[in-house]
Amino acid sequence: MPDTKFPIPRNEKERLVALRRYNIIDTLPEQEFDDIARLVAYICDVPAAHVSFIDERRQWFKATVGFEATEVERDTTFCQYTLMDTDMWVVPDATKEPKLIDNPNIYDGFKVRFYAGIPLTTHDGYNIGTICAIDHIVRDINDEQKNALRILARHVMSQLELRVRNTELDKQKEIAELAIYAKDSFLANMSHEIRTPLNAIIGFTELIGKTELDATQKEYIQNVQTAGESLMLIINDILDLSKIESGQLIIESQPFSLRSALKHTYELMKVKVSNAIEFNLFLDADLPDMVMGDRGRLNQILTNLTSNAIKFTQEGDITISVKKITENDNSYTLRFSVKDTGIGIAEDKLETIFDRFTQAEESTTRRFGGTGLGLNIVKQLVELQHGVINVKSTFGRGSEFYFILSYNKVFTQEKKVQKAEQSIKKLKHLSVLLFEDNILNQKLARSVIDEFGFDLDIANNGEEGIEMFLNKRYDLLLMDLQMPVKDGYQTTEYIRCELKSDIPIIAMTAHSLVGEQQKCFDIGMNGYVPKPFKQVELLGEINRVMNKKPAKQFKGIDLSYLLEMSCEDQNFVNEMITLFVNKVPNEIDLLENAVDNKDYDAVRKIAHNMKSSLPIFRLDDLLKDLTLLEKQAIDTNFTDEADEKMNKLRKGLTDTVVKLSTYKS
Amino acid sequence: MKIILAEDNDLLRKSLSFFLESKGFEVNQFADGREALEAIKNNDCDIILTDINMPGISGMEMTQYVRITLGRQTPIIIFTSSGIEQTELDAFDIGANDFMAKPISPSVLLVRINKLLKENNR
Repeated sequence: MPDTKFPIPRNEKERLVALRRYNIIDTLPEQEFDDIARLVAYICDVPAAHVSFIDERRQWFKATVGFEATEVERDTTFCQYTLMDTDMWVVPDATKEPKLIDNPNIYDGFKVRFYAGIPLTTHDGYNIGTICAIDHIVRDINDEQKNALRILARHVMSQLELRVRNTELDKQKEIAELAIYAKDSFLANMSHEIRTPLNAIIGFTELIGKTELDATQKEYIQNVQTAGESLMLIINDILDLSKIESGQLIIESQPFSLRSALKHTYELMKVKVSNAIEFNLFLDADLPDMVMGDRGRLNQILTNLTSNAIKFTQEGDITISVKKITENDNSYTLRFSVKDTGIGIAEDKLETIFDRFTQAEESTTRRFGGTGLGLNIVKQLVELQHGVINVKSTFGRGSEFYFILSYNKVFTQEKKVQKAEQSIKKLKHLSVLLFEDNILNQKLARSVIDEFGFDLDIANNGEEGIEMFLNKRYDLLLMDLQMPVKDGYQTTEYIRCELKSDIPIIAMTAHSLVGEQQKCFDIGMNGYVPKPFKQVELLGEINRVMNKKPAKQFKGIDLSYLLEMSCEDQNFVNEMITLFVNKVPNEIDLLENAVDNKDYDAVRKIAHNMKSSLPIFRLDDLLKDLTLLEKQAIDTNFTDEADEKMNKLRKGLTDTVVKLSTYKS
Repeated sequence: MKIILAEDNDLLRKSLSFFLESKGFEVNQFADGREALEAIKNNDCDIILTDINMPGISGMEMTQYVRITLGRQTPIIIFTSSGIEQTELDAFDIGANDFMAKPISPSVLLVRINKLLKENNR
């Protein structure tokens, strides 16, 4: 037993634990608590009040009114007694209170006569502090004031409780975010680790396929290719789930042939269907061919549904059918269906069939395998494309899964791939430096690039590559992103910022996280090829990057700035030139008029505005003249130079306008 | 990403809008400072680009209004006319995040926008 003079609640130990949970002692003053103390003083009409907390040996004040103190010894306080009670302790005259005989606060310093204290009680019944009203005269408070004190005490406690909860929530949130981050980066890394060797397998298989082979070998190679691609699909599926969960999955919109996509899926699945089952693909006669959408996701949905149908059907037939429901100026709405004569789904299971980790029967997993994720991914994929999916089924008779998607129509475009192949011939002989640490990938890239007829040097990491880059002239850099020593991002940053080189750089990466492509462009790369890369894709990208048109001149007028702004869009260039030609002559007149009239304010305004037009055609000399005019206008003093500059401007700009007005793309 | 662009020179404003839109931004363009500020008040935007001198209200006044009256920390880049140092210092002083002297290089602008957006998202 410690040697103490003050009364100790019987639950003192637990009480101290409860107090510490709020982390309130020795914190800085806060408005909320100061307000409470002020309210107490105001409501009870007393000169002094406080909100305090009591630990083992002291009373610590969170807020005070009418006196200044941080803490006092517990055994000198009135509140040590309040702490013992469940309700308010009111002492109208302290000198008459037996417990307070000899209490220093009555005779020394503060000279307390009246005291009303209410304990601050936690939700689980521990008194951790007090709210008090204090006066120097003998008096009392009425029931309403007492009630107000009780309310304030409860308010303080709920405030404290809320804070604790918030802190706990913040902590949980932090933990959760860390966990999500860890999962994301784990998935990204795993996908990279798996994709890199798989990339090599698929790539080399593609190369073997191009050598001379007999029919059997060709077939074997074809099988390896198919298997490799299926494996890639599975890995992508796993990634998809994590992407869907974190809202990172993006639905692409590219033109594709609906018919050939559907036939492709059908052919792929056909080999898996046993002979006992009739497997059909029914396409409506008026089904459109080319649509804008995500071919891969459609394929994924149909493959998934068909795989299920195959798994659960012993005999009868499985039919994929697609028909057009409606069509408007911009889009088609199509109904896709996968129907089987399999085991069917019991009516009470239909509702939850699309839920995660749900299969129709407990025993399904045992009999048929599967993760229970497939239909959930399918549903989310359909919904991400703003579609709906439904199921009809009769137990023992078969099921039909059907979904409705809208695809935008394709307007022109296309033939991109062909174009790329044609224009390879236009590319000169290129000297290429590849940054890549994986030996298999190095070999693969070498074979592909040899086929293009380019020279290739290979660096094993960023540092080595920079060394090579400094010693030889290259036309193009191919950059793997994950490399030891210096990765692709760091290397690119170094080349752009330190070496100040604008050599074209194409990122090559097996990463598949959303936003990565943008990140590459943001730090100054010019192109992006996801691995495993197809020859055509790489070539297309090289072609695009190398064919960036040089700064153009038109009759001595520099159009490079305008071309950069317009991203080489010819229509926009025309539009800007027309705008310039139409507005500048009028502005010259206005400016000259203002100069003649020494209207400084007008000159300043017109010049300021015109100054932004001139750099668009890189009219740097004229810009200097205009700046001088503006300056003299600001100084409200035109010298002889002003007239001279004005004449030069009129002549120069008129000349430019005349030339530009003959511009035709 | 939404950009509010205030610039009274049509050629520059249209070019910048076209450039930024082709880089995937959504650009709301204004030739008048007051109209731009109305748009800022009524809509969310991720970054503000403004010329320093404009009809209606100036880029500096706009910045001040956004920071003080609206109390928003939306990144702001001010376009200044040929390097007058004091103006630039003032621009920082009233809460602009960056300034760029005209002529504006589109690629530099893009890098600075991306940098500010990244910092702001942290």
